[in-house]
Amino acid sequence: MDPKQNVLREITRRHFFADCRMGLGSVALASLLGKDALSAATITHLDNPLAPRQGHFAARAKRVIFLFMAGGPSQLELFDYKPKLQELNGQVIPPSYVKNKRFAFIKQDAKLLGTNRKFQQHGQCGAELSALLPHLATAVDDVAIIRSMKTDVFNHGPAKLFTNTGSPRFGRPSMGAWVTYGIGSESSSLPGFVVLQSGPRGPRGGTPLWGSGFLPTTYQGVPFLNGVDPILNLSTPKGFTSQTQGDFVSAVKDLNSLRYAQVNDPEISTRISAYEMAYRMQSSAPELMDLGSETKETLDMYGVDPAKPSFARNCLLARRLVEKGVRFVQLYHTDWDHHGNPGTHLGEPLDDRCREVDQPSVALIKDLKRLGMLDDTLVIWGGEFGRTPQGEPRDTLGRDHHIEAYAMWLAGGGVKGGQTIGKTDELGYYSVEDPIHVHDLQATVLHLLGLDHLKLTYRFQSRDYRLTDVAGNVVNKLIA
Amino acid sequence: MMKSRPHMTSVTLSVVCGIATALFVAAVFVRADEKPKDDKPALVDYATQIKPIFAEHCHDCHSASEHKSGFRLDTAALALRGGDRGADIVPGKSDQSLLYQAITGAGDVAAMPADSPRLSTEQIALIKRWIDEGAKTPKDEVAESAHIKSDHWAFQSIKHSAPPDVADKSWVRNPIDAFVLARLEAEGLKPSPPADRATLIRRLSLDLCGITPTPAEVDHFLHDQQPAAYERLVDRMLASPHYGELWGRHWLDVARYADSNGFTIDSARSIWKYRDWVIDAYNRDLPFDQFTIEQLAGDLLPDATTEQLIATGFHRNTLVNEEGGTDKEQFRIESIHDRVNTTGAAYLGLSVGCAQCHAHKYDPISQREYYEFFALFNNCDEPNFQVPTSQQAQHRERLTGELAAVQKQLEQRDADYLKGLPAWEAELAKQSGGTWTNLDPQTITTRVGSVLSKLGDQSLAVDFSIPANDTFTLVSDVPLETITAVRLEALTHASLPMMGPGRAANGNFVLSEFELEVQPLDASGNPTGTPQRAPLDRAIADHSQVGYPAAAAIDGNQKTGWSIDVDKGSLNIDREATFLISGGIHNPHGSRLTVHLHQNHSEAGYLLGRFRLSASSATPASLEVPASVRRILAIAADKRSDDHRRQLEAIFKESDPVRQPISERLGALKNQLDQLDREIPTTLIMHERTEPRETHIHIRGDFLRHGARVTGSVPAVLPPLPADVKNPTRLDLARWLVDPVNPLTARVTVNRVWQPIFGVGLVQTENDFGTQGSPPSHPELLDWLAGEYMRLGWSTKSLLRLIVTSATYQQSSELREELHARDPANRLLARQSRIRLEAETIRDVCLSASGLLTPQVGGPSVYPPQPEGIYVLTQQKKAWPEEQGPARYRRGMYTYFWRSSPYPFLPTFDAPDANTTCTRRVRSNTPLQALSLANDHSFVEIARGLAGRIVRQGPAADAERLRFAFRLCLAREPHDNERDRLMQFLSTERQRFAVNEAEARPVAPLDADEGLSLAEGAAWTAVARVLMNLDEFITRE
Repeated sequence: MDPKQNVLREITRRHFFADCRMGLGSVALASLLGKDALSAATITHLDNPLAPRQGHFAARAKRVIFLFMAGGPSQLELFDYKPKLQELNGQVIPPSYVKNKRFAFIKQDAKLLGTNRKFQQHGQCGAELSALLPHLATAVDDVAIIRSMKTDVFNHGPAKLFTNTGSPRFGRPSMGAWVTYGIGSESSSLPGFVVLQSGPRGPRGGTPLWGSGFLPTTYQGVPFLNGVDPILNLSTPKGFTSQTQGDFVSAVKDLNSLRYAQVNDPEISTRISAYEMAYRMQSSAPELMDLGSETKETLDMYGVDPAKPSFARNCLLARRLVEKGVRFVQLYHTDWDHHGNPGTHLGEPLDDRCREVDQPSVALIKDLKRLGMLDDTLVIWGGEFGRTPQGEPRDTLGRDHHIEAYAMWLAGGGVKGGQTIGKTDELGYYSVEDPIHVHDLQATVLHLLGLDHLKLTYRFQSRDYRLTDVAGNVVNKLIA
Repeated sequence: MMKSRPHMTSVTLSVVCGIATALFVAAVFVRADEKPKDDKPALVDYATQIKPIFAEHCHDCHSASEHKSGFRLDTAALALRGGDRGADIVPGKSDQSLLYQAITGAGDVAAMPADSPRLSTEQIALIKRWIDEGAKTPKDEVAESAHIKSDHWAFQSIKHSAPPDVADKSWVRNPIDAFVLARLEAEGLKPSPPADRATLIRRLSLDLCGITPTPAEVDHFLHDQQPAAYERLVDRMLASPHYGELWGRHWLDVARYADSNGFTIDSARSIWKYRDWVIDAYNRDLPFDQFTIEQLAGDLLPDATTEQLIATGFHRNTLVNEEGGTDKEQFRIESIHDRVNTTGAAYLGLSVGCAQCHAHKYDPISQREYYEFFALFNNCDEPNFQVPTSQQAQHRERLTGELAAVQKQLEQRDADYLKGLPAWEAELAKQSGGTWTNLDPQTITTRVGSVLSKLGDQSLAVDFSIPANDTFTLVSDVPLETITAVRLEALTHASLPMMGPGRAANGNFVLSEFELEVQPLDASGNPTGTPQRAPLDRAIADHSQVGYPAAAAIDGNQKTGWSIDVDKGSLNIDREATFLISGGIHNPHGSRLTVHLHQNHSEAGYLLGRFRLSASSATPASLEVPASVRRILAIAADKRSDDHRRQLEAIFKESDPVRQPISERLGALKNQLDQLDREIPTTLIMHERTEPRETHIHIRGDFLRHGARVTGSVPAVLPPLPADVKNPTRLDLARWLVDPVNPLTARVTVNRVWQPIFGVGLVQTENDFGTQGSPPSHPELLDWLAGEYMRLGWSTKSLLRLIVTSATYQQSSELREELHARDPANRLLARQSRIRLEAETIRDVCLSASGLLTPQVGGPSVYPPQPEGIYVLTQQKKAWPEEQGPARYRRGMYTYFWRSSPYPFLPTFDAPDANTTCTRRVRSNTPLQALSLANDHSFVEIARGLAGRIVRQGPAADAERLRFAFRLCLAREPHDNERDRLMQFLSTERQRFAVNEAEARPVAPLDADEGLSLAEGAAWTAVARVLMNLDEFITRE
């Protein structure tokens, strides 16, 4: 065998299993072949667009876990108790509230609907929560509840796009894509932006919700599936063993290296790194999904049945992902769209949704705290909009989509816990104190990550686009 | 036709300078002369009293040079016309005039003047008086023309420059090279040597056809010593039908082509005929001007052909939001915005979309102009269009004729028979109906996976995610001793499409078969024996769709069934069908009933949405008339609704023995017609309305806030529409786009043709030729190409021929060291670029190298194998009937494209999402791409095909075989070190597979010769897989 081949082979071997995050393999290869035309810095940059980097200023949060409650949870059953609404239950809403307003389903003359849920104050901060969230009640002093969220659009698809991309139209990058574009990821063996799904179906809107828009696809969210392969095409194909897969990757690498030596195109070294990362993912992703190393205590805390896909399991996976350095994890949990049809009303279906998410999302906070990670992990809980103070006349109790006021909560990652921000009017219709628009929330999330939402831009069609479009103010009250 | 232009946005103003000024002076003179005869204060004089106020306080923002909110105050006529929000001055009514509200700070307009002192009380009073007196204005005041001048390069006419002189004339093959070389020489750079012939033929094949050349084609070219061998190769490739596929695909990116509606529901749509039209247009080299006219306005052409109508599908590739609770008008308008933006980006290279909400910040496009452009697209309907073959068309005509005749016959018969209705009603009123016991199933199973949930009233609702077909099986224990019939009620529900009762888009369903099995219960309520099929005598429904009688649900034929569509009225009401059991069931302790509801209609989704089962012990005679009909009979005749009357008539007509054969004949004909209509392909087209819609400016882009009314026009910074066009249409717009005087279309188009060939356009910002875009790297070359394109009659093939026969194109792509420092992005073109292939092309080269490719051009979309688990993340599962025949190996562009969940390989390799126009694809390089090429089972399958080809067609010796494999994939010969590395790999794999046949079996090629051992075949698949994963394989060198 050609001696040069031997050396090359040795080198590729040595670096194959090493941590090649910074394109070390390619740099070594370049110098081996006597090609020093490309500076190491150039290669590093070209090699790994997901390399971790500094933001605009010191970050409070290093990573984000966004628990997305798809469908629009009812703030009036969970977070925002309104005595006046109880009092006026069954009466037509005063026309002054709904003049020139449009709704997805209900009409101008819809009747107000009080809640049949019980509310109580909790924690030292005295946050008021409904009995549907007993676990959250034990963690309110670590959580900032927002009761005055506002958004712009009232259909699910556009509203989900808006919350994720800052625009109700297609084509913009999602928050996770902006974040990994801005500060990269600290994981060399897993994608920087991971999406997990639970509930009866996928979220309305599909892939654009975690898409990269006009940013390079490197930054798009990678959905992890519940099946054998958490990532599409992760398993070595039938008939190929891990050994033959190793042979394969090594042969591809050697031949690509030879081509690189000939034509000098840095894209080839990027591709070599991509294959290395892919190969690492083949073992790291299944390891991640294997909950065998978790104690029974932990599993119980989250309420996980390791054999069953669930939101609880995804919360635990989210913790495992951020432990491995993944920058942005988004969990979708569907079926919060409680209009009042059988199966989608404010009775048992709402009980079920809350039961599914309350314990695990709070377990996630407590688990992160236990691991000392809550301080720099931002946890966000909320959906694309809230629900109307008016009831919706369907089979049973339900509410329509509402964009003027709804609730979310945040914890960790530099957020000042133990507070409830914002107030709505006496009917819970409008945010009247500290209104926080979706763009404000986005600006704040970026801020906590050390990014200035005005400076995190990408030039497309000759315009510098931002996550926050042309709006957004950092909400200082949220920050510790 | 288009020479100097008047200002287009102020068409209301006719400006004739010299004379007008003279008249104006005269008018003032006359007015001054007319002293009032009584003591009334003089009328406010605009010229002397009002205009000076406007000039001092308002003109900075509201005149010819600057017209914020589209409002100008430099002449009274413009002031009266108003701005984007509509009329600013209502003569005689100051309190209703926005202008007055603004200067007083009243109303919901911003107080004016902005950021400067308010007008004095006297000035405000004067303006109020002027308005209240009717805002009298001089008729002849002269407006300074607001002709928008821009010295931005892209808005200037295309200049024809002669190719420059260069020092190294021998390098120049055509004028492109002169422009490129002149620049290189100025920079002190030398071009790269030409690529070798193997690289060139692969480059050409990938750039013009998107597939690999065969080794025979490569050999032929390598050994063709005749002059112009290269040019002949180019011509051969341009003549290939695969050319139209590749270049059609480029255009389909711009057209945002997809096979589904998008947004959250994302239903299927049929528009592949448009894709076929595009492919064909490229293959026959339809001139680009005509290509444009037919797509934008084919329906408006005189005697438009079917093909020209199909072409208008271009702007039907917009999304449709089918989510519940959406405002249809809102999303119709969204789609027009998309058409405006797509047209702007695709032809003008302008991001006009900014002006949707406010005047464009950088380019001279006002909000009014945006909506004038918008108005041109606001006048069409959006029909679905059948495209039958001539045979299908004849067949359809014959069927509709027969159908009409039978229909008439039936109506006559019904009219006669219905005379007996009152007597029938009276007879029925004497009888009483049987009673029903609702079944409450203890087990519910579904064949495919529909999820049924029980509602409180023993009815069952079908969950959201539903398969195309399904069978529901419901087991219920019934305490009745005797059971004579089982009834199925199909019930409406708010969660269903159109309220249901079915799950089809219109609320319909088809019950293909109703089956009943019975087991007697013993004294303790346990079933005994095995379930026995209960024979059913008759099926009686309160309503059946023509051609879908209830009887069809018990005829043992899964292809027929009971369905409930109506000719008149709403189909979305509760219906019922009663199934009479032959002889009845008699079990002293009751029975266990197992009901199978088969729903296997040929169209997907025709499932029940909500239903209830019940059983009865009543006599068959008392069940003849459905309970729903009895309920109607209980209503006084004059209180019955039209629906009630229709229902009664329908059930009465069923009892007419003469009617049945005619009705059956009618049903059969309708079925045939339905069947035929399903076979006839449809496509989406545009159709201009005779009554145009009104278009208004949408204030801040909000479609509910109407501003000023506008009519169709084009931006003033560009040449005007021809003077004789009074009410411009899409056709005028299309002709204007491709008028040689338009400075943008040709430039933008040649730039986009250039882009995939060199990796980047001469203008890098291919969709922004505006002031914020990047300037061209070679401005004279861009203009020369644009001019040449038009001179060549907008022939894209000729343009491509010109480009690929240039020396510039044929350079080597190796990155010379001095160029890396000087010009890393290769804007100067001192070499070719290495370009990673596009997603579809990657699939295509895999298929063509392996020999598996099914070369059929055009047709409906196909379903190649895809990994499992794709639909976990979509709202609804998508149909994906994986192809088993040759369609499994069609080119990537024919893969069915669901917008909400594209075939995963495509977005992984940066295929656009088809939600908005895409004028340039990004090229990323990610680990997911590696996983996909390495592990996707469909690529392993192709690798097995490639291995089969290598061992079947290649020479016997390993080294020779490797050489053959290399040439199949890369067109070139392997270097020694490459060959050695692969030889080593081959022998390792051969040894591994030799000791493990079980592993070799799923890897070895399927169709290898019998003499080939599994291990040998598997080892070659391993080699093929390596080759298909090489960077070079998916790169155009």
